Amino acid sequence: MKNLTILLISLFLGTMFAQEAIMGTEAQRAAGKVIYDAQCSQCHGYDGDAKSVGNDYLRPAPRAFTSGTFKFRTTESGELPTHEDLKASIRDGMPYTSMPAWPQFSDKELDNLAYYIKTFSEDFIDYGDVKPIDMPSAPSFSEASAERGRVVYEENQCLDCHGNLGRGDGPSAPTLVDKWDQPIRAADLTKRWTWRGGATREDIYQTFVTGLDGSPMPSYNIQPPEDQWALVDYVYSLGASDEADYATVLAATLVEGDFDISQGPAIFDNVPVAMFAVAGQVIEPGRAHYPGVNSINAQVIINETDIAIMLTWHDMTAETEGVNGPNMQVPDDDVLNEPIEALISDAVGVIFPSEPTVGAEKPYFMMGDKSNSVDLWFADLASSDCDLYVGKGTGSIVQAESDIRIASSFEDGKWTVLLQRSLASENGISFTPGTFTPIAFSVWDGWNKERGNKRGLTSWYNMYVPPLEQVSPVGPMMQYALLTLLAQLALVAYFRIKYRKKEEEVA
Amino acid sequence: MDLFGISFLGLNVVPIILVIAGLVALRMFFNLNTLAWMAAWWVGLYLMLSNGITVPLPGSIVGMFMGIITLALLVYLTTSGEDLEATKDFMVKFFTDSRYSPALLAFLVLLPSLVAYNVYTGMTQQPQAPVFGRTIHPPPPTDITFKGKKIDLVNDDNPYRILKETDPDAFAAHVANGRKVYYQNCVNCHGDDMGGNGMFAHAFDPIPASFKDPTTIAMLQESYLFWRIAKGAPGLPDESTPWSSAMPAWEKFLSEEDIWDVIIFLYEYTGYEPRAKEELH
Ligand code: HEC
Ligand code: HEC
Ligand code: HEC
Repeated sequence: MKNLTILLISLFLGTMFAQEAIMGTEAQRAAGKVIYDAQCSQCHGYDGDAKSVGNDYLRPAPRAFTSGTFKFRTTESGELPTHEDLKASIRDGMPYTSMPAWPQFSDKELDNLAYYIKTFSEDFIDYGDVKPIDMPSAPSFSEASAERGRVVYEENQCLDCHGNLGRGDGPSAPTLVDKWDQPIRAADLTKRWTWRGGATREDIYQTFVTGLDGSPMPSYNIQPPEDQWALVDYVYSLGASDEADYATVLAATLVEGDFDISQGPAIFDNVPVAMFAVAGQVIEPGRAHYPGVNSINAQVIINETDIAIMLTWHDMTAETEGVNGPNMQVPDDDVLNEPIEALISDAVGVIFPSEPTVGAEKPYFMMGDKSNSVDLWFADLASSDCDLYVGKGTGSIVQAESDIRIASSFEDGKWTVLLQRSLASENGISFTPGTFTPIAFSVWDGWNKERGNKRGLTSWYNMYVPPLEQVSPVGPMMQYALLTLLAQLALVAYFRIKYRKKEEEVA
Repeated sequence: MDLFGISFLGLNVVPIILVIAGLVALRMFFNLNTLAWMAAWWVGLYLMLSNGITVPLPGSIVGMFMGIITLALLVYLTTSGEDLEATKDFMVKFFTDSRYSPALLAFLVLLPSLVAYNVYTGMTQQPQAPVFGRTIHPPPPTDITFKGKKIDLVNDDNPYRILKETDPDAFAAHVANGRKVYYQNCVNCHGDDMGGNGMFAHAFDPIPASFKDPTTIAMLQESYLFWRIAKGAPGLPDESTPWSSAMPAWEKFLSEEDIWDVIIFLYEYTGYEPRAKEELH
């Protein structure tokens, strides 16, 4: 009897302690609630149900903790995350969503927040010991393994969603919705910096072994184990870097002889690429809270007479039918999954000041202003023209005569648009070799019903057009080296003549 | 004919002759003390370097030479008689004694190579894009027109702040509305925790303000914030580059009350106090 009491008491205490290890103490949860109500409830809701003031404006939507569904875990698919997983998600944040990192919280605060978040879902209350999956240490990267990984990638239909080259453009990509019936895009595997589960090879392993619960991204049990790392290596090889290397200057390259954009993108071989960050237009009415494109790459070449610009960006689908235009009307505010009938095509725009700028003064980067207008080179990709518009603000965009030529193509989730014009033109800006010109970009994703002022855009950056004659540095190098040498020799001669003589005299 | 265009051996003859003539004239007609004489040399050499050579010297090289020249002049000026002798003795040895020949040879090879390298990097480097400063906190106008109504930025203050003392419940409602306004409109740029790192922040230059930074709202008056929020970037004066800032003009979206409320929320969230009006006078 006594033994039984002890057994019962210890069992009770045991579960209590186990419970405490998972759910924390009353005081810890209360401390977590204070931070949560002040800093998290705006998005995740006071009751953890994501019913919040921010929800409609944020995509991907803030997680409803009541669902007990978590994307980023070290545990098996369908399991709850570990305590440490929750802390890591909060601390490191969710890049390229409305929830950036929270490095300011101490470890204690993170503990308290994680304990409090668990109270929203009953699943946590009787979740025993969740165990992280075994994480083998990663063998080093090899090309051969990455090559094998391509086969694994195809065999497991990663391609269906992520696309042939991983640009998020697989055939099923446009149909994907998450557990909450919201459209969701398959990640662009070439841009590791946009991932939320981390960009290392171990993170990739974890992502497909555990899956992203709540999203269509499944979990995989790939055998043999070598094939898992082969897949990791292939996915890793799709992107060039972990961090986004955004540019601020677009330097044109002077090429010899004629070029014509009808020759295709090859005329831009070996020309440096500048990548610019694209944001949603959330500045004026016609807001785009969830733009489809997050970066655009540009390259420029010139010769004595012409300038050609190559723009590339990743897009889930090419909308080559329908209409688009910078003056099309849009609702003042973004409407989720806007239900409009009309087909909207993809489009891209390059913006320059209409007149050369003097000093710091420029037109307003959005679309010019009353005193300083911009030239908008606008390419509706359903047509085969590149139009010219003169913008004096988004409410005042007027079409002008255009002599810009265009060639465009779409392949494996990538748009390539080539634009060509003479350096000097009567229709719009003339480019002066040896100078910087402000440049900005806009992208319209037709799939997202982006048109008019609902668009992705960039700030002003600088385009550098080099001088038409490249001075070889060899001449001046020789000249200055020789001058220096002459000065040195003169010094030596001076001392030798003056003092050698003296020495001789002394001797 | 352009006199200044005459060149010989890559040197612009006229400026060089002018400088030399100037120095000679100074020597002959004025009784300069050593200091003034050194200064004259300094200026003369600078003019020769910057104007005397046909392909203009890159700034970095002129700087390098002027550094050496300044050093040499300083050494000359500061060394007392004895030190001067010692220095001279060493130089004489260095330039004449065969013991030093290898070092002298290295000197003769290295310096010109360094100069050539400098010219090379100067000429092949991509030119730097122009950088323009911007005034972050320009003086505000004395009044603005907000949706047809005049708002006096000097005397008007947040009409709802007083509620903090008089009616805490009503005040809490304004904070709650401000919070809603913030998370529906500002979070994309100013961030989920006001740190200025919202999901679009990295695409803008200048970057969105961090309200946690003690040099933003903590040192501004509420009426100043009202102006900045209502009129946004387009309302800035030229010295603050209105053409490049992404800060929206919120009068297009928000009511007067919404703006005062979001201002209250910014202070309540960060724990800062607005700067009081009195401090101005
Ligand atoms: C501005 C809105 C916003 C705020 C404020 C915010 N979050 Fe989030 N949070 C999000 C969004 C959006 C996601 C979902 C990202 C996704 O689905 O990829 C998210 C996801 C999460 C996740 C889930 C990660 C997973 O594995 O699925 C956790 C945990 C989380 N947030 C905790 C917090 C905590 C704790 C706070 C307060 C300190 C907070 N969040 C504040 C927007 C926000
Ligand atoms: C049914 C469609 C689908 C398939 C098949 C699929 N994925 Fe995904 N994947 C997604 C979606 C959707 C996301 C984005 C989830 C989100 O945004 O929350 C994603 C995200 C990812 C991410 C980025 C996660 C992060 O950290 O943000 C990686 C890496 C990834 N998938 C790899 C793979 C690999 C490897 C395979 C094949 C073994 C694969 N996926 C198969 C739909 C899929
Ligand atoms: C599209 C991005 C964007 C959005 C959305 C945005 N801002 Fe800004 N904001 C900026 C940028 C960029 C600056 C810094 C440049 C400047 O001062 O104009 C700024 C500056 C400010 C300043 C001036 C701070 C100072 O120290 O002078 C205030 C106040 C401000 N924002 C408030 C708000 C409020 C309130 C909202 C929401 C109603 C908001 N902003 C929404 C981009 C944005």
